[in-house]
Order: sequence, then structure tokens, then C-alpha cells
Amino acid sequence: MTELKVEQQLVTASEENNEPQSLLDRRLEAYKLMDKLQLPKMQRFKFHDWPLIKNQPLKWVASDPQAVLEDEADHEVIKVVQFGQSTIQIALPKELQDAGVILTDIFTAAREHENLFNKFFMTAIKPEENLLTAYHLAYLNAGLFLYIPRNVQIEKPIEAELIQDNTQDEPLISHILVIADRGSKVKFIQHLTTVGENEEPANMMIELIAQDNSEIDFSSLDELGSHTHTYFKRRADIGRDAHVEWAVGLMNDGNTVGDMDSELLGEGGYANSKMIAVTTRQQEVGINNRVTNRGKHTTGLINQRGVILEGSELIFNGIGQIIHGAHGSKADQQNRVLIMSDQARGDANPILLIDENDVEAGHAASVGPVDPHQMYYLMSRGIPRKQAERMVIRGFLGAVLSAIPSKDVRNKLVTILERKLTDGQQYQ
Amino acid sequence: MATLEVKDLHVSVKDEESKKEKEILKGINLSMKTGEIHAIMGPNGTGKSTLSQTIMGQPNYHVTQGDILLNGESIIDMPVDERARKGLFLAMQYPAEIQGVTNAEFLRAAINARRADDDQISVMDFIKKLDKNLKLLDMNESMTERYLNEGFSGGEKKRNEILQLLMIEPSFAILDEIDSGLDIDALKVVSKGVNSMRGDNFGSLIITHYQRLLNYIVPDTVHVMMDGRIVKTGGPDLAKKLEDEGYAGLRDELGLDIKLVDDED
Ligand SMILES: Nc1ncnc2c1ncn2[C@@H]1O[C@H](COP(=O)(O)OP(=O)(O)O)[C@@H](O)[C@H]1O
Ligand SMILES: [Mg+2]
Repeated sequence: MTELKVEQQLVTASEENNEPQSLLDRRLEAYKLMDKLQLPKMQRFKFHDWPLIKNQPLKWVASDPQAVLEDEADHEVIKVVQFGQSTIQIALPKELQDAGVILTDIFTAAREHENLFNKFFMTAIKPEENLLTAYHLAYLNAGLFLYIPRNVQIEKPIEAELIQDNTQDEPLISHILVIADRGSKVKFIQHLTTVGENEEPANMMIELIAQDNSEIDFSSLDELGSHTHTYFKRRADIGRDAHVEWAVGLMNDGNTVGDMDSELLGEGGYANSKMIAVTTRQQEVGINNRVTNRGKHTTGLINQRGVILEGSELIFNGIGQIIHGAHGSKADQQNRVLIMSDQARGDANPILLIDENDVEAGHAASVGPVDPHQMYYLMSRGIPRKQAERMVIRGFLGAVLSAIPSKDVRNKLVTILERKLTDGQQYQ
Repeated sequence: MATLEVKDLHVSVKDEESKKEKEILKGINLSMKTGEIHAIMGPNGTGKSTLSQTIMGQPNYHVTQGDILLNGESIIDMPVDERARKGLFLAMQYPAEIQGVTNAEFLRAAINARRADDDQISVMDFIKKLDKNLKLLDMNESMTERYLNEGFSGGEKKRNEILQLLMIEPSFAILDEIDSGLDIDALKVVSKGVNSMRGDNFGSLIITHYQRLLNYIVPDTVHVMMDGRIVKTGGPDLAKKLEDEGYAGLRDELGLDIKLVDDED
């Protein structure tokens, strides 16, 4: 296909979607960039032959809401549901609307809140970073937008249920943009799942803009299907005295490569990036979890825990960087993986890049079997080996489990954890 | 009635530094029945913990000779969880800490592990039993929702071992230095817990360095262990005698050529 033709297709699709000219221009620019850019790099992990880009035009397809089971209404959260490209449920309580909170799908935001959208959309993650970020912007087809005005604190967590529709022949290219204005506070949970058996890529990006003194708790339960190749990139730009907590439960069944990024820009900022992952079968998963201390007196923490079952592979790179001038900063990271079978492969690599003397930095890493002392203790009370193993593993993953604010999502995570571990144990 | 027999038991362990197998137990004989309380006393480094861990089935300890029989059946090839379900319990000197698993959840799993799938303990029965035992041990209810041993003080861990004992109700409990690091009040509470188990269906092997515990849990039989062997067996008065004369005194009296690790007063 000629370049001109592809551009024409993007113009047509953008028009069909009633996008403002500014978004179309950015799509076209991003498309041009794709020629010059390469896939992202990850130490010790190969994924360059994965089908992460689908060579087909941007198209708008509706997904049938009947196809996704409705959970019982959970009144503990403000729920948003997106199935493929279709927004099925989105309702912001009136008092939050009155307070100026905006919660919409990403394209409504581009149309109706053009200034705000343009000011922040893809400013933390930049299209020119790599081939997949450029692809993301050029072919974006789903997503959400949340803006919390100055000093507004949202008590109830917002839960976004994003369901990839693999009954369709479409990739999912989704963007969540959260802008927490100064002094605001929000808890956001995303739950990713897949319906359907088609082989599709998922290109999932999240930008958190945590302005001065704001607080964002972001948890994610990733449960994309085995026929999905996932690239995700999640990044927080963290202002002065702002707090960002990530708690990610990575339970995808398919191959996944992901970048977590926390940029501590302002003085006194804080980031705690927690992730747990369980891999099974022949799955391959590679994660870069990076925290960069730029501002003075910033704190950056990384805690990654993985369990590698059957013939799967999991690589955790923890990257802690302290930039020159970030006096009095703190960086600490833990990367630990449990290897549960002879065929399982994995690594936990702490990478510390420190350009400043006046800092506190630490790291710990481990790769190995479950703790034999803990196993012995549980078994000495009569608990069978496999059950004991699951209990020890649950403890090993506890830090992320307990950080998820919704009981419902927490229970879901525990359930799929038990299922994956039980399945994986049969293989041992 | 259940029985536990240790016959000519030799046990070795791999030395971390030299990587060579080192013999720790050099022919232990011991025979007990439910309804009885036995005490094993001995100086540090003599092999008391090795004996208890070997009976329980800790995989680092290798039986090179002899046998251990539970109700006449050899258990030395059984994994630890199976031994536990057959009625053995070991209150450990250094209990593991397990984050993410609450004490209550752990206790239920342990109780249910020895019951049939269609006969699991009901929540009501479990809570009743738990409340009763917490009270007996003077333990706060909040202990049950805390993660297993995590951040527990030394004394709390010991109490928690006894709580497990009371909840699981094994036939034989080995208590390895349950008195170490306990003040007198805690010692009394722990003893009260163990004594409440006394009866025809319970036997215990109490391992201690000091005689003091045996004032509170009075044993039927006292064994003295030195250098991987039982060198003397007697009644409760043997413990008192040791208290007065020290291990060195007994060693000299028996004419043994053994170096004691720690100085005895
Ligand atoms: N797991 C082990 N690895 C190596 N040596 C051990 C191990 N357990 C015990 N030992 C050695 O065996 C001897 C007896 O130890 P232990 O049974 O702990 O004695 P006690 O409990 O009577 O103080 C000591 O010399 C000790 O160093
Ligand atoms: Mg000992």
C-alpha cells in the first residue's frame, strides 16, 4: 500500500470519528514517524518477531454489549466499561460532575475538551519514543480520559473494565489519560480482559499526570487472553510533593512486553511501583520497571515479584535512575522471581544508574525456588505440599494484593492466581 | 493409645563449610506412649534440635542408621506433611514468618488438612475452638488476623506455637526449647496450655536446656542427652539433680569423655 493511500485512510477514519483537526494532524505526523522508528529495547528479552503491529487501516467497529457478561453492580466503585471500541457504561456521579470532574471516552475528550486534551495527551509518553508509541497515536482506537480539578478528592475508586473484543478482526489500541490537577486525589483501577479467539495485538498505554500535591493510586489487573500479544506502556509524570502508587497484577495469558515508567519531576515527589506477575505454559513476559528521580528529595520505590510456572519465561528489569542534581533522593528496588519448574526461565535484574552523591539507594534481587523454611513450616502442620506452595506464593505476592483498593478486584486477582498456580502445579 | 519409638537412630547433616556429612546423633533409643510426658535435657550443641527435626522430617537431616516408628509403622521415608497428618507436631525453636497468610487461615488449613473433604470444620466450630484457646493462652483476638508470625515478638511466636498445638490436637507434640526467651508469666501461660492437653490421647517430648520449665510441666520421664546419645534416664528428680550439679557434674559422674560446648555453672 502506498503511503499516500494509508494517509488518506487515516484522514477518512478520523473524519468518520468526528475528530478535531489537531488530533488528525498528530495521527499523520505519528504515522510518518513510524518509518524512522524502531521497536523498543529491553535487556535480556527478545520479542522483535511478535505481531505487535497489525497492518490494516484504522476502522471503527461497534462491539455488541450483549456479548459481555454484566457483573452485579458494585456500589463500592464508579464503574466504566469499554468493550473493544464501544463504551458500554460510563456514569459519573452528579456531585463529581458539578465539581468539574471529567470522565469520558478518549475521543469525546479530544472533541469536547480539546485544549485540556491537547495540553496533556501523549506528552508523558511521546510518539517519537519508539515504533510502538508512534503506531499507538496513528492508530488509536479506544480509551478513556479523566480529569480531576484542583483540590478535588474522589473517595470512591474509579474502575475501568476494558474488554478486548477478539471476536472482531481489530487490534486494541487503547489510551488512558488521567490528569490530577494540583492537590487532587483519585484511586483508579483498570481490569483488562479479552473476549473471542482471534489473534490480535493489544497496544495499551496509560499516562498519569500527577500535578503538584496530587495523589494517584493506580491499580491494574491485566487478564488479557492467550491469543493476544500485548505491548503496554504506563507512565506517570509526578510533580512537586505528588504521590503515585502503582499496583499491577500482570496475569495475562499471552505474550507480553511492558514498560512502567515513573518520572519524579518535582521536589519531594514519591513513586511506588509495585508489580506481580504469574506466567504459565509457554508464555513469554518481559518488563522494564523504571523510576527516575529528577527532583530533589524525591523517593522512588520498585517492588516486583514474579512466579514462573511450566515452560514460561519472565524477565523483570528494575531500573532506578537518579539524575545529577536530585539531592537527598531515595531509590530502592526489589526484584524477585520464583522458578517453579525445570523448564521455567527467568531473571530479576536491578539496574541502578546514579549520577548524584547525596542519595540513598538500595536494591535486592533473587531468583530461585519457594523458601524451603516456609514450606517446611507449613507442611509440618499437615498442609500438603501444593497447598503450602500456593500459600507461600500468595504471601510472596502479598504487597500488591493488599494495595488494590477494590475488594471485588482483589478477590478476582486471588481467584485467578489460585487457578494459574493450580494449573501450573499439575505440570511440575 | 499411640506409640512413638526411636530405635538406634543415627543422623548426619552436611556441614555448611566443609561440605562433609557430620554425624550428630549416634544411636538414640527412646520409646513413649500417649499419656506420657518425656523431657530431654542436654547442653547446647548436643543434638536435641536435630532429634526433634529428624522425627518431624526436616529434609536436611539424614538418617544413616536405625528407624523411627509411629504406631509401629516406620515414618522415615514419609514426607513431613504426612507425618503431621499421622499425629506428629513440632513446636519449633525458630518458626517461619509468612506474609500474606493470616494466622486464622493457616490454622483452618492445618485442621482441615487432616479431615476428609466432606468433613471440613465449620466456621462456627472453628471460631469457638479458637476463642477458647486464645483465652486459655491469654492471647489477643487480633493475633488471628495478623500474618503468620510476621513481626511477632519472640514470646508471641512461642505462644502461637502452643496455640497451633491446641488447635491441631496431635497425638505427640515435640516442644523444642519452648521456654527460651520467655519471662516467668509467659512461661506459666505456655505451661498451662500444654498441661491442658495432658490426657490419655496426648504425649509430649519436651526439650529444654533448663530445669525451670519442668516445675510447671512435670514430666514422667527425664532423659539426659550428651554428644548425640542419651546418657541417663530417670524421673523428675533427675532434672533437679542436674540443676544442682550441672551437666559437667553428671558427665564426670558417668565417666564420659565429652567436651561441653558451653561452660556450665
Ligand atoms: N542444619 C544443620 N546444618 C549443619 N549443622 C547442623 C545443622 N543442625 C545442627 N547442626 C549441628 O549439629 C550439632 C547439634 O545441633 P542441635 O541439634 O541444634 O543441638 P541442640 O539443639 O542440642 O543445641 C551442632 O554442632 C550443630 O552445629
Ligand atoms: Mg536446639
